[in-house]
Amino acid sequence: MSLSFTLNGQPCATQAPDHWTVLDLLRDGLGLMGTKYGCGEGVCGTCTVLADGQPIRACLVLAAHVRGRVLVTVEGLERDGRLDPIQTAFAERGAAQCGYCTPGMMLAAKALLLENPSPSEHEVREALSGNLCRCTGYTKIVEAVLAVAGSK
Amino acid sequence: MHPFRLLEPESLPEAIETLGRLDGESRLVAGGTALVAMIRLGLVKPDRLVSLHRVPGLNRIRVDGGSLELGAMATHADIERSRTVRDGWPLLAEAVHRVATPAIRTSGTIGGNLAYAEAASDPAPALLCLNAEARVLGPGGERAVPLARFFRGFYEAALEPGEIVTAVRVPPPPAGARGGYVKFTSRSAEDKPLVGVAALVVLDGAGRCVEARIGLGGSAPTPVRADRAERALRGEALTDAAARAAAEAAAGEADPLSDLMGSADYRREMIRVWARRLLIALRDGTALRDGTR
Ligand code: FES
Ligand code: FES
Repeated sequence: MSLSFTLNGQPCATQAPDHWTVLDLLRDGLGLMGTKYGCGEGVCGTCTVLADGQPIRACLVLAAHVRGRVLVTVEGLERDGRLDPIQTAFAERGAAQCGYCTPGMMLAAKALLLENPSPSEHEVREALSGNLCRCTGYTKIVEAVLAVAGSK
Repeated sequence: MHPFRLLEPESLPEAIETLGRLDGESRLVAGGTALVAMIRLGLVKPDRLVSLHRVPGLNRIRVDGGSLELGAMATHADIERSRTVRDGWPLLAEAVHRVATPAIRTSGTIGGNLAYAEAASDPAPALLCLNAEARVLGPGGERAVPLARFFRGFYEAALEPGEIVTAVRVPPPPAGARGGYVKFTSRSAEDKPLVGVAALVVLDGAGRCVEARIGLGGSAPTPVRADRAERALRGEALTDAAARAAAEAAAGEADPLSDLMGSADYRREMIRVWARRLLIALRDGTALRDGTR
């Protein structure tokens, strides 16, 4: 099937097998490896990307279902060579260890801040509740997101 | 993942026609949060999926003749954020907000949730309490199925081959209704509930239950209403003892399964605990937080 959508600010027209998910399309079709393959069944959240500003599980959403939508992956977070404040905060606060959960975490956080620029800690934890991290214990991740919220 | 062909009808008649002419194993897909996971796990191997994504207007949320009408493709996120739903049907907004995690709620749809007929659905007990009905369209035309008759068995909805849930209609809650949903999970907070309890009560000036409805998830092969518990409450003052007796009745009439999440006995015990706490919280107007083991 053919499909077109906006990917990280650029129009993207491509072909994909009918049964591909967004995760297959990004990694295998378009070679964008920033979006991670964790569980592949909707549990871990590391494949989280934004569709029209909302977080989705790339491993569960069929590629056909993002036709015409606006997708943002971790590769699209930086603007003109400048990191997104979320990326800077993660780096400065040590919110990544192995880094495998980090793209999904940052995009889940981005979706939250787009909708609610000054969330409470509870709201941050709720927004990240579908993203598992096996390294950090979450504390620094939550701190990094709150730091971005507080600096606005 | 098992390869399948994807068909994308652009209207409901075309979708019905498409489903009607397919042989082999075909499945209807809405958000895909359940079906795609099952395909990835190899639990189902359909040759074809028929997607409803291109049918316009199926995700509309509106009020029609006083009733809420949720298009089947409205996502849980659409519903929990809708002002209309939050203001007029807060019990539903509350239950839908507890489904899985934010990035699942943006894809999973209300029609898909009901058609999947998961016993531990979060929205179903609330919709049962609200006397909702499913609108079903098939080759023979349209019909309305009260939710109380919609769940036929374990993961089985009362849908004939070729039928599609197009909308969910929810009448307005009775005047003065207080509603709540509480979810108890045994593994992690974003899991489906071990048991979920929804309740809607109307109390008169003397604190008596003029109306009492209780819906249970994870408590039987399908989501159910707790009829005996409701009868125990109607006309009674909602005292601590009455709440305890109703919760006891709900636990008694439940028919839970044992699985990896917990045993039938444990589920029954949790129905007893959480139904009682929920009824008392509704009476007192206090907040009740979800429970995790
Ligand atoms: S890879 Fe998608 S949720 Fe784990
Ligand atoms: S940093 Fe390793 S999983 Fe989160």
